[in-house]
Amino acid sequence: MRARAVVLGLLSSTAVLAVGWQLGAQGQQTQTAVAGTDASAASPSTVSGEAAAASPTATPTPAATSTPAATPTPTPTAASAAPAAPAASGVSGTFTGTAARTRYGDVQVEITVQNGSITDVTALQLTDQDSRSVSISNRAAPVLRQEVLSAQSANVKNVSGATYTTDGYLTSLQSALDQAGL
Amino acid sequence: MLEEIGGIVDTIATRLPRIEQRMTTRTAPTLRLNTRRAVDMIVRDRRIRARRRMRAADLMVASVWASVALAISLWLAYGGLNQITDPASGITALGIVTGLVGTDLILVMLVLAARIPLIDRVVGQDKAMAFHRTLGKPALYLILAHGALLTLGYALSDGTNVIAETISLLQGTDLLLAYLGLALLIAVVVTSVVAVRRRFSYEAWHLIHLLSYLAVLVAVPHQLSTGGVLADGSGQRIYWIGLYLLAFGSIGVFRFLVPTLRSARHDIRVAGVEQVAPGVVSLYLTGRDLDRLQTAGGQYAIWRFWTGATWWHAHPISFSAVPTASTARLTVRDLGRGSAAIGRVRPGTRVSIEGPYGVFTDAHRVAPKLAVIAAGIGITPIRSLLEHSPLRPREATVILRGTDGDQSYLWNEIGALRSMRGNSVFTMLGARPPGLATWMSAEALSRGVTISSALPDLLQSDLYVCGPQSWADLVIRDARAAGLPEAQIHVERFDW
Repeated sequence: MRARAVVLGLLSSTAVLAVGWQLGAQGQQTQTAVAGTDASAASPSTVSGEAAAASPTATPTPAATSTPAATPTPTPTAASAAPAAPAASGVSGTFTGTAARTRYGDVQVEITVQNGSITDVTALQLTDQDSRSVSISNRAAPVLRQEVLSAQSANVKNVSGATYTTDGYLTSLQSALDQAGL
Repeated sequence: MLEEIGGIVDTIATRLPRIEQRMTTRTAPTLRLNTRRAVDMIVRDRRIRARRRMRAADLMVASVWASVALAISLWLAYGGLNQITDPASGITALGIVTGLVGTDLILVMLVLAARIPLIDRVVGQDKAMAFHRTLGKPALYLILAHGALLTLGYALSDGTNVIAETISLLQGTDLLLAYLGLALLIAVVVTSVVAVRRRFSYEAWHLIHLLSYLAVLVAVPHQLSTGGVLADGSGQRIYWIGLYLLAFGSIGVFRFLVPTLRSARHDIRVAGVEQVAPGVVSLYLTGRDLDRLQTAGGQYAIWRFWTGATWWHAHPISFSAVPTASTARLTVRDLGRGSAAIGRVRPGTRVSIEGPYGVFTDAHRVAPKLAVIAAGIGITPIRSLLEHSPLRPREATVILRGTDGDQSYLWNEIGALRSMRGNSVFTMLGARPPGLATWMSAEALSRGVTISSALPDLLQSDLYVCGPQSWADLVIRDARAAGLPEAQIHVERFDW
């Protein structure tokens, strides 16, 4: 009888694990598809910096959680820029990057550009899933802002201990830079 | 009969009404045949019920396995495998899985301790609690590993050291609560480990043990906020919350709601206290519709006596008689300070009941004959078990064991039971031989008595053993050695 319990237990566990594994594998496939649509779906809603405060990530299936690497997609369709943003050298205005999803929450930045140079970077949203994330974000954001302002690009080095925040920050920044045509 | 069993002194003859031995040879052949068929039917019925219980027990064990697998599956379905890219994320992943499995085991432990009637009927509380105890340490180790692995994994991926990582982890309220839960959990497990437990009274240990509810609850916020597996809106989150609801719901219902309602309904009070031996008292209780408790002989309940000295701890005490509509009787020995205080309760004291529980009953028999060995206070469930069993003549053999005459309380009632008519009761008085691991008296042992000679029909019998744990273990050792199948061994343990 004991043996039967063990056999039953093994069989049911194996079945449950197999289903879980299958779901995980499937989720990965749909998730990459979702990530593609996600980026384009999200961009129209970011009209300007002010509206973006209401976290614009239109997540179709919330269960499909992020692998940070999947998000970048430079979104050439990003027509979301401020009223007029002709891609000229002397470009000015504010540009909102798409929200980059990380495992600790979304990261979204807004850049202020004057005559083709970045004058300010504002973080609209930072990793904030728990208070640990918040403290990491608070530490990393000023460092990243300073580095971006001096480098005038998304080519800055990782803030140690804030890998996910940095990744998200720079991803969103890059999309804003793309919009500005910088 | 007496010669056969050799050394067992039949002191019962002098103390008890003479045991009536009905001769089966006198009955007419047809009647005998019918009786045999009836016995066969009873045995067949018992076997079917036992098989059903076995099946239910196996399903329960399998569902524990499945729940562990499901905990891992939550992480798999979340796509956890895809997140393993380097050693740091591997360690983090392992940390997540140990946390999920460890918490799942703790919730299983809560379910096992919830005294769910189905579990009690199928395997009995003491088996469920034995399983609960074996899960304790593995669950704690998994949770400790969860904390350690995640700290290490985070530190590696953040590029800091473990101490800096721990400090940063401690910044969050949710995680601070989780650390508190871990500390409580360590306290609960440490105080429950046998060696340490001896230094605590039952009552102190019980109060500390209640902290485990708190430990499990304060861990919830960080599970829902920090991890991605149980993210908002995911199926995983719904299942996980369901698991918590199941564990805490069953505790709420079966340990609090049902006992409260039952106590209110039956309005049980102490009617009298009778000292039956040094340190042993019988409590006579009165109440409303006590027969509706449907207590089976051999069962116990967990009692709380509402006096200033005793209200804050509840005690498992066996019924020493099957309750009638308005009365019940318990017999208790002062094993600790708490049960000593119970002996001093006054008539009129209000009593709360949780139960009845226990599988030490006639309903759990599987064999055609009955063998009973009881020692000391172990007589109490035996007394009500025999009272409640529909025994045929020559079906039962009872051995009552005591060190001296002080331990022979309730013995005179056994022989007087209606169901014991035509059945044998033997007593074995005397100390055990020093330095020898035996459950018998030195005298019986020197006369060459064995469990098989004392109980000639042992292998066709259900053996019911009740007495001190270490003594009962020796009886069971002998029974197993004599070839008695496990299903025919029934033990009631008086420990916590």
